[in-house]
Amino acid sequence: MRVIVADDSVLFREGLARVLEGAGFEVVGQASNTEELDRLVAEETASLVILDIRMPPTQTDEGLVAAKRIRRQHPEMGVLLLSQYVESHHALDLLGQSPDHVGYLLKDRFADLGEFIDAVRRVGNGGSAVDPRVVAQLLGRKRSHDLIEDLTDREKSVLALMAEGRSNDAIASGLKISPKTLEAHIGTIYSKLGLEPAGGDHRRVLAVLNYLRSS
Amino acid sequence: MVQRRAIQGGAVALVTLASIAEVNVTLYSDHITWQLTGPAGWPWYLALVDILPGSAFILAGLVAWSLRPRNRVGLLMIGVGAGLLIGSHAFEWRLAAVGFGPVVLDVVGIVGSLWPVVLLHLLLAFPGGLLVSRLDRVLVRLFYVVVPLAALLPLVFGSPGLGDVSQYLPVFDVVARAAGFTYLAFLAIGSGLVIRRWFLGGRARRRSMSPLLWAMGPYAVFLLLLYAALVLRALIWHVSSGDFWLVLLDVSPLFLAGVPAGFLIGLLRSGLDMSSVGDLVVKLSGGLAPEQLQPALAHALHDPSLEVAYWLPAQEWFADLEGRRIELPTPDSEKAVSVLGDPAGPVAALVYDSSLVHEGQLVDTAAAAVRMALENARLQVQLRAQLDEVRQSRARLVEAADSERQRVERDLHDGAQQQLVTLLLSLQATKTEAMRHSDPETARLVDANIAELKKALDELRELARGIHPTILTQAGLVPAIRSLTERCPIPVEVKGDLGDARLAPPLETALYFVVAEAITNAVKHSKGRRMCVSLGRGASLAAIDISDDGVGGADLSLGSGLRGLTDRVAAVGGRLEVKSGQPGGTTIHAEVPCE
Repeated sequence: MRVIVADDSVLFREGLARVLEGAGFEVVGQASNTEELDRLVAEETASLVILDIRMPPTQTDEGLVAAKRIRRQHPEMGVLLLSQYVESHHALDLLGQSPDHVGYLLKDRFADLGEFIDAVRRVGNGGSAVDPRVVAQLLGRKRSHDLIEDLTDREKSVLALMAEGRSNDAIASGLKISPKTLEAHIGTIYSKLGLEPAGGDHRRVLAVLNYLRSS
Repeated sequence: MVQRRAIQGGAVALVTLASIAEVNVTLYSDHITWQLTGPAGWPWYLALVDILPGSAFILAGLVAWSLRPRNRVGLLMIGVGAGLLIGSHAFEWRLAAVGFGPVVLDVVGIVGSLWPVVLLHLLLAFPGGLLVSRLDRVLVRLFYVVVPLAALLPLVFGSPGLGDVSQYLPVFDVVARAAGFTYLAFLAIGSGLVIRRWFLGGRARRRSMSPLLWAMGPYAVFLLLLYAALVLRALIWHVSSGDFWLVLLDVSPLFLAGVPAGFLIGLLRSGLDMSSVGDLVVKLSGGLAPEQLQPALAHALHDPSLEVAYWLPAQEWFADLEGRRIELPTPDSEKAVSVLGDPAGPVAALVYDSSLVHEGQLVDTAAAAVRMALENARLQVQLRAQLDEVRQSRARLVEAADSERQRVERDLHDGAQQQLVTLLLSLQATKTEAMRHSDPETARLVDANIAELKKALDELRELARGIHPTILTQAGLVPAIRSLTERCPIPVEVKGDLGDARLAPPLETALYFVVAEAITNAVKHSKGRRMCVSLGRGASLAAIDISDDGVGGADLSLGSGLRGLTDRVAAVGGRLEVKSGQPGGTTIHAEVPCE
């Protein structure tokens, strides 16, 4: 899988490229700012761009803006946004535009390399990846009338994995349950929360995140 | 003084002379009869026309001059009167009778033709006595040249007047036409200038000009219509005007006899008497607040547009009562300025309508009367200006502290956090390498380091977020508040919004820290079970209410947290209020001005 990496720190880019190459990805270009990134995206055929949310010149949200632009101009290219902080606002901002081919992860997600590589692969293949910390924060949010509290622990785990953007197969094998049992859990979750069943994994991510954020 | 006496004496002599010219003193052998008449066969009203307006102007001018010796209005009025008398038919006839030749008579006629220009000069200079506007000055000077020329040319070409067109030579027709149009243009432009002056003038000037307009108006209208009719009849329709028209033309100056009274009344109205200053002193003894000084002075000097500008020595500029800078108008405009006190260290300046320029003594007296009160007011203005300075410096301090926090967060983000994450990547590479060399012991050690590093990153992240939340700069106040509520251990409902346009960064930061501190306080002390953050934005105000259902008891005077918030909100010109009762929990209300 061909990947472009963008971050203003060369050490970080090199480190990330080494980790990605170690996991079998091909890093076809590195960019230190969004202009270089735009040029690389136009020139290289890549499945995925991994970029930092804070980029020069203002170091605020240039990366987020570039990510949305790439999604609009190259719908077949995945975008994985990295950040030192995770904010549900940014996650929904990015997913709301097009929930597929999109990921939003905390930078220290590298601490669990397997999970990070899994997320990269998922976004590269057209799925979505939301940092578990965003999901945990939204799930743990205190609500006045908390329907989440009606869910069993198993159902909460399923809901969290759905919100992270994982497929049914991944959830079932991760929780070591049969696909049939998983589907039963998902049905219960939807009816307990009063959610409309959404088609496709990534549509489901958006629906669940929106529910968690607004309820 | 001698000069003034001489002119006054001369003017009286002139009136007498003219009157004698009018009054035929006929000596019979046995008795003397006085007869009011001009040259043989002239009707009596022409004698009145000749004598009345000119004498009225001269007499009123003398009165005006003695009332306002420094004001040129009196002299100008005498000038108009003299012109009227010199230009009178009887004077000319007298001179002819005594034996003066045609050249002298022509010169006298030209001098006599000047009085309308002097009248215009007077109108435009009234009541101050000086031509203030540059346009007025230029046009009046021009008329002093053009109008006598228009009177001279027909004389040169041998015409006795405008009345009888039929006998003139063809070349005279052209000259007479030009002269007629010159008069018409002079009247139209002159009226225009007077009307312009009326509309441009301040209220003080209009007040003194209004009796004048009432006195002048009928004459101007009558003359304009008459000249228009005569010119149309003679030059366009080629109809010779009959006796009736000539009589009208001849008696028209009679209207002028009432005008000097208008000037006198106007001058007296513009005249400020000491009694108004007396009133001012009485008011002062009752104690005048600084805000009342300007209206009191404006009233005493009859100029509602009067402004008081206070000198601020620290800033070296003049300011109004609020401490806002005032630029003093330049001289030669519609405004005049008197600076009070030592020029090196003035107390204040009065800015007033230029029509008061010739009342300098009165303005000075009024200013002297309020001197102490002005000093007092100036100190107050100085204090306000200093307060304003302090307010601005507080806002700058808070802003500087905020941008410093932002810089620290950025340094942490780009430095420590980035380096630790890079180290994390490097440790991952080391771990992969160790696995490849089948060294599970090393891999395990590296894993332990990774776990420690992750904890360090978590702590560093929370620290950086507390210093300055990047979401605030990235996405704005509402997402930042939502982010706060998502982390809050008790349920927080967010209601309302702040509109689409973002607030200015200092306002966003101030309100963010209010919400953050209020939530922290509520979680720590209120024992409440839920909170509510309500947002609202009006045309000029953004407001946030943070309420909980806890035990209340929060107080601005207790704890530095809330106190600090009050200062922070005040620094951006806003207001913070804490309502806390035993039942009903605590509500913190913050509002900031916005556009």
